[in-house]
Amino acid sequence: MKMMLVDDEERFLSTTQKLLAKKGIEALTATSGSEALENLRTQNIHVVILDVKMPGMDGIETLKQIKRQFPLVEVIMLTGHATVESAVEGLKSGATDYLMKPTDFQDLIEKAEEAFEKRKRLEEKIRVARTRTFMKSPREILRETEKM
Amino acid sequence: MPMKQGQYAPKSPMRRIILASMILVPLITFVLILGIGYYYFATSIETSTLASMKRIVEDHRQMIDSFLSERRANLEFVLQSYSYDFLADPVNLSNVFERLEKESNAFLDLGIFDEEGLHVAYQGPYKLVGKHYGKEEWFKEVMKKGYFISDVFLGYRRIPHFIIALAREEKGKKWVLRATIDTYMFNELVKKLRLGRTGESYILSTAGVFQTERRSGGNLMDKEPENINYPSPQEGIKTFIKEDIRGDAYVYTTTWLKNKKWLLVVRQQKKDIFKALSSAVYWIVMITMIGSGAIIGIAFYLTDRIVRRMERMDTEKDRLGDQLIRASRLAELGEMAAGFAHEINNPLQIIKSEQTLIDTILGELKERGEIKESEDLTELEDSVDQIKLQVDRCAQITQSILKFGRQDEIQSKDIDLLSFIPEVTKMVANKVRVNGISLREEISEDTPPIHGDPGQLQQVLLNLFNNAIDAILAKHGSKGGQLSIETKPNVNGKVAIIIRDNGCGISPENQKKIFSPFFTTKPVGQGTGLGLSVCYGIIESMGGVMEVESEEGVGTTFTITLPVSA
Repeated sequence: MKMMLVDDEERFLSTTQKLLAKKGIEALTATSGSEALENLRTQNIHVVILDVKMPGMDGIETLKQIKRQFPLVEVIMLTGHATVESAVEGLKSGATDYLMKPTDFQDLIEKAEEAFEKRKRLEEKIRVARTRTFMKSPREILRETEKM
Repeated sequence: MPMKQGQYAPKSPMRRIILASMILVPLITFVLILGIGYYYFATSIETSTLASMKRIVEDHRQMIDSFLSERRANLEFVLQSYSYDFLADPVNLSNVFERLEKESNAFLDLGIFDEEGLHVAYQGPYKLVGKHYGKEEWFKEVMKKGYFISDVFLGYRRIPHFIIALAREEKGKKWVLRATIDTYMFNELVKKLRLGRTGESYILSTAGVFQTERRSGGNLMDKEPENINYPSPQEGIKTFIKEDIRGDAYVYTTTWLKNKKWLLVVRQQKKDIFKALSSAVYWIVMITMIGSGAIIGIAFYLTDRIVRRMERMDTEKDRLGDQLIRASRLAELGEMAAGFAHEINNPLQIIKSEQTLIDTILGELKERGEIKESEDLTELEDSVDQIKLQVDRCAQITQSILKFGRQDEIQSKDIDLLSFIPEVTKMVANKVRVNGISLREEISEDTPPIHGDPGQLQQVLLNLFNNAIDAILAKHGSKGGQLSIETKPNVNGKVAIIIRDNGCGISPENQKKIFSPFFTTKPVGQGTGLGLSVCYGIIESMGGVMEVESEEGVGTTFTITLPVSA
């Protein structure tokens, strides 16, 4: 599993990165939405932990961009707000799950793994579908998968 | 906003203005109406009375004048019809007199005089034949002018009478016919006029002597005591007011008789004439007094009511203002707190991550045997645990603050309290039972539905239940607790939900602060002090009111009043 942490708090990024590394999980970090998108373009990332409130491009906007450009990437929203409002908005825009600050590292890992499992299942389905309908374009395949 | 004490106190300008205008406006109108009414009434009475007096005096004068001219015409007829010689015969004179008496019984006697004034023949009650009248004024006058009417005089007979004399020239010799008019008859004729109670009429000679009796005092031939002004002979009817010797004011109307020798006087006491007016004045004064009293009384009463009403409205306004300020302050505070809590969450997140890292590294070090178990290590681990604990506590606080300041999408709908309240009590039923508290539900069958967000209302009720349970446990432990929830049906479109406990109660000074955010009596770490202020805000946003009533050591009652769903 390859993860990416997106937050404007660098210390949070580095510490969490270390913790993840100790768990054997490779994690990239990005301090802004655009940096995150840049990383997604260059590397194969499975799960993104995305802070809702960031300067510049905020979490929701970044999420929408990610989902548009990299539909297969699983995104977990990290919200500082106790209201589920922003989380709900995130979920509506395609986020897999949400976490509330201050979040427990254990929770973070659990949710990330869940998301990764989901991603894996999805990829498996795509693979199976692709072998069946080799004539179809990936976009159509994806759409069909979503219907299932 | 402070209450403006004494704004409407008895001597406040506002009160004075209201009172003054409430008294003066109707009173001035009232007095003006009465005054104007009185003025026109008085004027009209005066005019009509004077006009009728003038008419009466005129009629009366005509009647008296015609009486006198008739008598003169009677005598003229005798004078022209018979010769001196014929009438000088007493038998003939007696016959003529008899006929004359048939004409009018005003004639007392009849006499014939020769040129020299010798009484030649006489028919009447006295013996006057042979008496000589040549030197008498009346005789000279009649010889000169051919006609004479005397004032009332006593003459030889020593009784009041007046005479009418006529002269005729026959065969170069003048002779005179004289008749005496019964003053009693004439008197009655003049006197018979009556006006009101004191109206009377009489005749005065040019010398101011009564020619007829005056009913109110004034004998025949007496001097008139008031010395009224005589009009000039050309003047017609004259009206004036004069006081008599007793001091009573009289309204006089005078007119000359045709002969210009006698003045007909009709007079009436002024107060008699204006009797109607004085009774009107009496009533006007009475009505003014009673009316003014009523106006002033009503003014005081109404002013009192108005002022009290204004005071009530002011208090209401102040209260509403207070509430508004309180509500907006709460909202501001909520927003601020939310922003603050949100910002705190970021550093908390970092602390938590760091703590996790320390924990992990410590674990690894121990695993690898790089640090040995020691007292210091245990202390270090305990300290790290404490960091985690405190961060979690902070997180809990920020969560509640955010909940307090949150602007959730409210999903309002009709809530049927009959089913809703039992659902909520079910949630606390277990906790209640475990703590040995008896829970009583009294939901009146006719409790109307209300409108609001069910989640919010549930939050409020649960909060109140939890507070109540805490209060009961503080007082009774797990025995003898009593908790009740009841509803009161629709009163003026409001429904009341009452939650009552027999817990430790709230002190009066704490009751004042109970709805303020961050106010709590619970030990550190067990309450954020936001619960009730959130509840208060929720009930207020539903258009309701939340009130507390409590007695220390006896119990607490929370009353939520909500508008009935429209």
